[in-house]
Amino acid sequence: MTFGTRKDGRPLPKHVLDSAAKLRASDGGSAVTRREFLAMASVFGASTTGAYGLLGLAAPAPALAREGVRGGTLLVSMRILDPKDPRTFDWGEMGNVARQFLEPLVRYTADYTFEPMLLESWEVSDDATEYVLNLRQGVTWNNGDPFTADDVIFNIERWCERDVEGNSMAARFATLIDGATGKLAEGIVERVDDLTVRLSLPTPDITLIANMTDYPALVVHPSFADNPNVAESSIGTGPFELVEWNVGSNASVMRRENGMWWGGEAYLDGIDFIDYGTDPSAEIAAFESEEIHVNYESVSEYIDILDSLGLIQSESVTAATGCVRTNVTNAPYDDPKVRRALQMAVDNATILALGHAGRGEVAENHHVAPLHPEYAELPRRERDIEGAKKLMQEAGAMDTELELISVDDAWLKNTSDAVAAQLREAGFDVKRTVLPGSTYWNDWNKYPYSSTSWAMRPLGVQVLALAYRTGEAWNETGFSDPEFDAKLAEALSTPDVGARTVIMKDIETILQDSGVIIQPYWRSLFCHMAPVVQDYRVHPVYEMHFEKTWLEQA
Amino acid sequence: MRLLLVKRLGIMVLTMVCLSMGVFSLVNLDPNLRKLSISQTNMRASDAQIESWLVRNGYREPFLERYGAWLGVLPKQPGTDPDTGETVPRFRFCDEADTAVRAGVLQGDFGCSTKFKTPVGERLFPALRATGILMFWVMLVMVPSALLIGVLSGMREGSRTDRGLSTLAIGSTATPEYVSGVLFTVIFASWLGWLNGSAATATSKGITFENFALPVMTMAIYGMGYVARITRASMAEVMTSQYIRTARLKGLSFGKVVVRHALRNALIAPFTVIMLQFPWLLTGVVIVEIMFRYQGFGYLLVEAAGNNDIDLLLACSLVSVAVVLLTQLISDIGYVYLNPRMRVR
Repeated sequence: MTFGTRKDGRPLPKHVLDSAAKLRASDGGSAVTRREFLAMASVFGASTTGAYGLLGLAAPAPALAREGVRGGTLLVSMRILDPKDPRTFDWGEMGNVARQFLEPLVRYTADYTFEPMLLESWEVSDDATEYVLNLRQGVTWNNGDPFTADDVIFNIERWCERDVEGNSMAARFATLIDGATGKLAEGIVERVDDLTVRLSLPTPDITLIANMTDYPALVVHPSFADNPNVAESSIGTGPFELVEWNVGSNASVMRRENGMWWGGEAYLDGIDFIDYGTDPSAEIAAFESEEIHVNYESVSEYIDILDSLGLIQSESVTAATGCVRTNVTNAPYDDPKVRRALQMAVDNATILALGHAGRGEVAENHHVAPLHPEYAELPRRERDIEGAKKLMQEAGAMDTELELISVDDAWLKNTSDAVAAQLREAGFDVKRTVLPGSTYWNDWNKYPYSSTSWAMRPLGVQVLALAYRTGEAWNETGFSDPEFDAKLAEALSTPDVGARTVIMKDIETILQDSGVIIQPYWRSLFCHMAPVVQDYRVHPVYEMHFEKTWLEQA
Repeated sequence: MRLLLVKRLGIMVLTMVCLSMGVFSLVNLDPNLRKLSISQTNMRASDAQIESWLVRNGYREPFLERYGAWLGVLPKQPGTDPDTGETVPRFRFCDEADTAVRAGVLQGDFGCSTKFKTPVGERLFPALRATGILMFWVMLVMVPSALLIGVLSGMREGSRTDRGLSTLAIGSTATPEYVSGVLFTVIFASWLGWLNGSAATATSKGITFENFALPVMTMAIYGMGYVARITRASMAEVMTSQYIRTARLKGLSFGKVVVRHALRNALIAPFTVIMLQFPWLLTGVVIVEIMFRYQGFGYLLVEAAGNNDIDLLLACSLVSVAVVLLTQLISDIGYVYLNPRMRVR
């Protein structure tokens, strides 16, 4: 059996095979680690078994101790938000109810790989301009319609509608959009046959597959446009069907009865999502009264409390983080010396210990994580209070009051407080302002100096493109560096991990030296579940996958 | 009597109009409108998108026109589809008309809740019912216990019973609900495990002793102290009056004196206070409902305020005015019947 092929038999790109050879030969000393290789190989269409095989290993089998038992209703504590159009989803919670009956084309797994869902496989050309999407056979919508290439094209067209309010998919599919019309450009999408779609992009884009895994990219039925409300137009391809969706109260789904799900049958009879509000202490009472089996997320001090209740903890290392960022259009942060001084005065490891109880990994102020395939390691930087003071004095800003604004939430507030304390140790005049969520979000990207939470994306270049490119909607720092933009564009068209890592080294250095962010750590995410819940774990991007979950019946 | 009723109802309507206009002006302050638009479009929407949503949904029309539309004296304007130019209903999730028609409070339509994505009535009335049930049980527990404590302490003023019960009463009044609620949850739900720390199953599966006892207890104990102290003061005053002394001197037993002669007069003042507990409960219920996840009126009010849900907030303020003024009216009329010394002409 040869391993050097994609799932359809065509050979994998040369750079992927070269990386595999290097890894096999090395023994851990290669520039590409196993995790990076797996992610890159799966983007280019290798199966899990094939990817591991290239490394000379067997794919790890999931450690299923027992067979799943059919039956039971899972009770989940999660906020129930607006059932709007999936492409306008802005909270992971909305995605989690919808993903029980709607599915994406590709899924980003908790093992950091890309797993085909509604696609069977895909091929990417070596320069990342041609994508061939091979749809999965035998998929039906729960109203009986078969799933075909027309449905995929319908969804891609909707994702590319740039001028629809709140459509965040348009930014992800920017390379497919015609600048003049604001819609899918002509000649890009080709319906090869019922189960194959070809995309011919005008410019290279290696992030397309990764973008298809995000929660707004759930695939909807062609009739969705008549009533773009996912609670009312709930025709989907998933293992469950929607029963009800009451904002602020509860939502429930039941095992699919109309047609077979392509993956077989879910073990659970149904899932009830119950909204317990924003205060995590309500979940403690809920777990104790056995009103819920699992929660969406366990935060900070509640992790220990929930542990002590005898619940099972699930942890995921992620690239989710918080940035204490300056906005360079406001003085004194327009002076690079001031920004560098702020960075130098802070020790990231201490901020991790104080701001997130040590639950995570230390970061390096450039927003690319070790778990990203293209992470390039930079030389370590130590805290340097004297150096920081000197820079601030040179800039003449030692006496300026620096107001650090944060939202009133547990870990961001604590992190901002810890940063402020360290800055004060260096003699800077820092004032702390904490705003409630309802006012903070009104002006979140205008504050001169504030802290923001950032969720992770599968590839390191994605957040950089969203947050630090000139003129982006979410560029809260106002950072604008033509050299950075040019190098980022180069990285975004370089599929080879090794080559991209070299470019990333420069990109990371530019961002780190600019001092626009103090990005102290990567957060680990946690959730808790009752011992009866089997085969569920927390996901690095907060997705909840229940199709294999089962409840142990007493 | 009839004149009094008519005058009171007139004052109630006037208060409703004034309060709703005040609330309406507050919710239409620009930061609040921005907050509303952000929650309806996207957490990280741009300024242009926020403004276009507000314009499209009629939030930039003149203040009095919009107030009139909410009230039902002026017609509600539908939105316009930007692509086709046709009139479309403003909010699809509640059956708003796509023509200009009068559909306001006077016609019985409370509007659309932008937070809960449903007509206001569909959330408001079940929530009022839920809070009503909570209030009923709280009153049932609180009133007899408070009166009992008050009477027992007041009938022998200065005794050890009095001192002990008074300390308890003052202690319970001094402890706010968010402290006592947490304490009771820890003791009864976590340590002893007798009761449920969360009332979520009360709304979904029905009220049982286990899931409802803690919220009722938290609210009842807080209000109990206050009513008990008033009752005690009133009782003590009555026990020193001449006719009680006469009855004792004539040889009636202490028990008969208290029950047959003192109580009836002592309970007049507490009655007014108990009626005043109703509006207090309407606000005090907010903390308890959030803490125990019981989705009643208080929870609705907090969510509406936090998300600047205009129609829901206005409806809640109307309900508050109605409850406060109605209970005051009942209190005044009841007082007149209880106390023959006050008779209205």
